Amino acid sequence: MSERMAQPAGRVIDAQLHLLDRQILDRDGVPVSVVADVELAGIEPGRAIEPDAAPPTITDLLVGMELPTRIFGGRPPSSRRMRIPWKLVADVGTVLRLGVTGDRIDATWVERWVGRRVVGRIPGGRHDPE
Amino acid sequence: MILSDLLGSEVVDAAGERIGGVVDARFALDGPPGQLLAVPRLVGVLVSPRSRTSMWGYERTDVHAPWPIAHYLRYVHRGLYLAAWADIARIDEGLVVLREGYERHDPRLRTASQGS
Repeated sequence: MSERMAQPAGRVIDAQLHLLDRQILDRDGVPVSVVADVELAGIEPGRAIEPDAAPPTITDLLVGMELPTRIFGGRPPSSRRMRIPWKLVADVGTVLRLGVTGDRIDATWVERWVGRRVVGRIPGGRHDPE
Repeated sequence: MILSDLLGSEVVDAAGERIGGVVDARFALDGPPGQLLAVPRLVGVLVSPRSRTSMWGYERTDVHAPWPIAHYLRYVHRGLYLAAWADIARIDEGLVVLREGYERHDPRLRTASQGS
């Protein structure tokens, strides 16, 4: 085995170890979702990679229905994936923290829908307990 | 491409001989600056000749505790190495092909602060 390769200047993360299945919290510490998968840009399956090609990058965190397909196989179409853009991620630690509030991102639409259509129709469901 | 397409892929050399499986993908947060964090760029893939399960980060440092777990994982993943992005010739569904003359890099990080 050769020596350690020239180490990058920045922090080094291993995607499976540091990203997959981690909880995502919004700016206020409210749970948003769990990282089900990660979308990469810069890899074209089956195409030869030039020796000086730019390395692939992480573009989005995928949440929602990616987990069942990771376990049971198959995959939802790309258009049905729920994405949280990487540019919204503020910190990677034991949890991933976003720099925005959760209600501003598309990935929480199910919670908003249930809150409006189901919980909101229950008497007292539209205000805090007195 | 999504990460789970890459994890578990078989790794072959330029001659088509199987040399392991992808157990993780290593990224460095030193890409173009984003709004909050830099964009992670792929440094390489961690290739284990004998297992496709995660090594739980024991390959990143010289930590040996708890001893039974560290010892077991190091035994199962003996021969694990980091294949640099520059040594990858092609990525296909479930298959990673390395270039001729690829190098097997030590997967340990140089400083603990890089992994914190």
